[in-house]
Amino acid sequence: MNRTATSSIEALIAVAAVAWLTSALQPVLGLASSALLFLLPVLLAATRGGIVPALVAVLAGAGAYNYFLLEPRFTLRVHELDNFISVIVLGAVALVTSRLATRLMTREAEANERARASTEAAALSSLLAAGSPAAALQDGLAFVAERYGPARLVDAADLARADTGLTSLDLSAAAWAIHNGDVTGHGTETLAAADWTFVPLAPRSRPDQVVLALAQPADGRVRRPVDLEQVSQLCLLLGQCRDRASLEAERIERERIETSDRLRRTFLASLAHDFRTPLTVIGGCLELLAPQSPVAAEALLAARRLDRMMGNLLEAARIDGGSLAVNLESLDPVDVIAAACDGLAPPAGVVLHRILPAELPFVRGDQVLLHHILANLLDNAARHARTRVTVSAAVETDRVVLRVEDDGPGVPAAERTRIFDRFSRIEGTDRSGGSGLGLAIVKGFADAMGVPVTVDERPGGGARFSLSLRLAAGASA
Amino acid sequence: MSRILCIDDEPAILRLLEVVLKRDGHELVPAADARAALAALRDAPVDAILLDLGLPDRDGLELLAAIRAASTVPVIVVSARGEVREKVAALDLGAADYVTKPFDGDELLARLRAALRAADKAGSPGGILAHGTLRIDVPRHSVESAGQPVALTPKEFAVLKALVEAGGRVLTHSAILEVVWGKAHREDVEYLRVVIRALRLKLERDPAQPELIRNEPGIGYRLA
Repeated sequence: MNRTATSSIEALIAVAAVAWLTSALQPVLGLASSALLFLLPVLLAATRGGIVPALVAVLAGAGAYNYFLLEPRFTLRVHELDNFISVIVLGAVALVTSRLATRLMTREAEANERARASTEAAALSSLLAAGSPAAALQDGLAFVAERYGPARLVDAADLARADTGLTSLDLSAAAWAIHNGDVTGHGTETLAAADWTFVPLAPRSRPDQVVLALAQPADGRVRRPVDLEQVSQLCLLLGQCRDRASLEAERIERERIETSDRLRRTFLASLAHDFRTPLTVIGGCLELLAPQSPVAAEALLAARRLDRMMGNLLEAARIDGGSLAVNLESLDPVDVIAAACDGLAPPAGVVLHRILPAELPFVRGDQVLLHHILANLLDNAARHARTRVTVSAAVETDRVVLRVEDDGPGVPAAERTRIFDRFSRIEGTDRSGGSGLGLAIVKGFADAMGVPVTVDERPGGGARFSLSLRLAAGASA
Repeated sequence: MSRILCIDDEPAILRLLEVVLKRDGHELVPAADARAALAALRDAPVDAILLDLGLPDRDGLELLAAIRAASTVPVIVVSARGEVREKVAALDLGAADYVTKPFDGDELLARLRAALRAADKAGSPGGILAHGTLRIDVPRHSVESAGQPVALTPKEFAVLKALVEAGGRVLTHSAILEVVWGKAHREDVEYLRVVIRALRLKLERDPAQPELIRNEPGIGYRLA
């Protein structure tokens, strides 16, 4: 508006100047040249102010031409047709020129806007490329906030928190932006009543879990669509930087885990070595003495138990490290059970029974972990059994259930969860030395494989542990 | 009587091994590190090697590879490192067997006997292989179990032949897969498990309680 008024005044001044000039020089110039001179203010007004000042110049110019130059001078009457035509031509020139000028000016303004936008995007890009992605992301946020007002990131987890300082309408807008990848909230067509504008950081094709929240302008304006478009572009840059930052964070975390895992492995390996070397010597010497001496035979058993405990401690340490490597493959349950039974030396008076159907389907599991689980369950059963330990396998709907049973005192219902905790013992029943870790390792390894393990009562008394294994891909019950 | 090179940096272990080996009439040649071991090997031939992996001057697996490159003498790894992948690595590098510390003397001697026997046989590729009541006629592709002929598929025959040739030593999954199916199938353990089950159904007295083909979890198979 302002600009139109200024240009209109300028046009009037220019018309006045031309009127004065032409009337002063009229004897020299002649009518035709004078009429042409009145085009100048029109062109000037059209290019500087557009259509309104141009029309002002046309009307003022036509009036002045008529009043000062055309006979009868100093009246506004029009006598001859050609004079009337000059007024119309002048008007047409004004219209066309101003349209052209307006279009040019619009294009220039657009080009300027685009240049500014791309300069801004380039500046943000180079800012984001510098330094670590996480720090660059903060710099990038500050860059956007400096130009477009207070800004921060809101992610899906924030939506559930109470302390975000956002109204429920804002939270709805944020959720919409996160789930649909649209620019949402203040200044947009979606939930426009919100106080903030939410701009996605990822292209609509793959919505991300985070959006940029942009406070509404402090002066109460509504942002132009073109500005929001620009913010969207900047947000895509921020999004790429954030992706890099999270990749970087993942890499660092992975390296940290690998390093600590390596250190732990080295530590455990040397610990195992340092314990087992003397145990080997002790056990080996006792083995030589055992045939002649019952005391040495007793000591040999103790040495072997010590080694088992050592093994259990090392395995528990592997579970704690959280880096238990699980290699799920297709296994023959017969293989697994046979290997576990081969390693069992039941105490005198206890017999091991196997009940296996002839054609068991293959199951899915980690062979080494499953072997440890079964070996520990068998060891546990052998230590508690009175006369027999039974290991069995059965197909139940789409699973193979392995069971290890003993005819010992059993596990009271109240203890059936606690029994898988470390160093838990049922009072008064633990007659012979377990490490207190065996069942905890069973649970830890089973959890790592995603295999449920439970304990209940064997029909006829005693404990019954069950492992429920999924069938291998392609196997059928 | 055989000469057994024992490589271990712990003198007490060497003394223990000496007593254990004497029970089978073997002579112990001691070496406290890799350098001494290689020197001893150059000085005089030995019949088998017991190798500890935790040596002061060199990684045990490296030494194993070096020994394997120079000779075919059977190496039994005797180590406190009990991790499965360590065992597989040693076996794949050509160790004849793997015994974890603390070891049982009788078991160590049994494994040693098996390794020595297999090494003896390696030089004479006879047409007939035998293991317990099993007889394999290699040229005629026929197998007898306790005098009864058993019909095997070519893959079953090849797996059984590999196990019998190993003479009670463990063969890793990948070793059997490579021999029978080829290098490209080193990882396809499931092929092997299917054939092992089929072999057990044909050869074992009770296939659900296998006694002949033993599974070493995560490592491989061996014949009892």
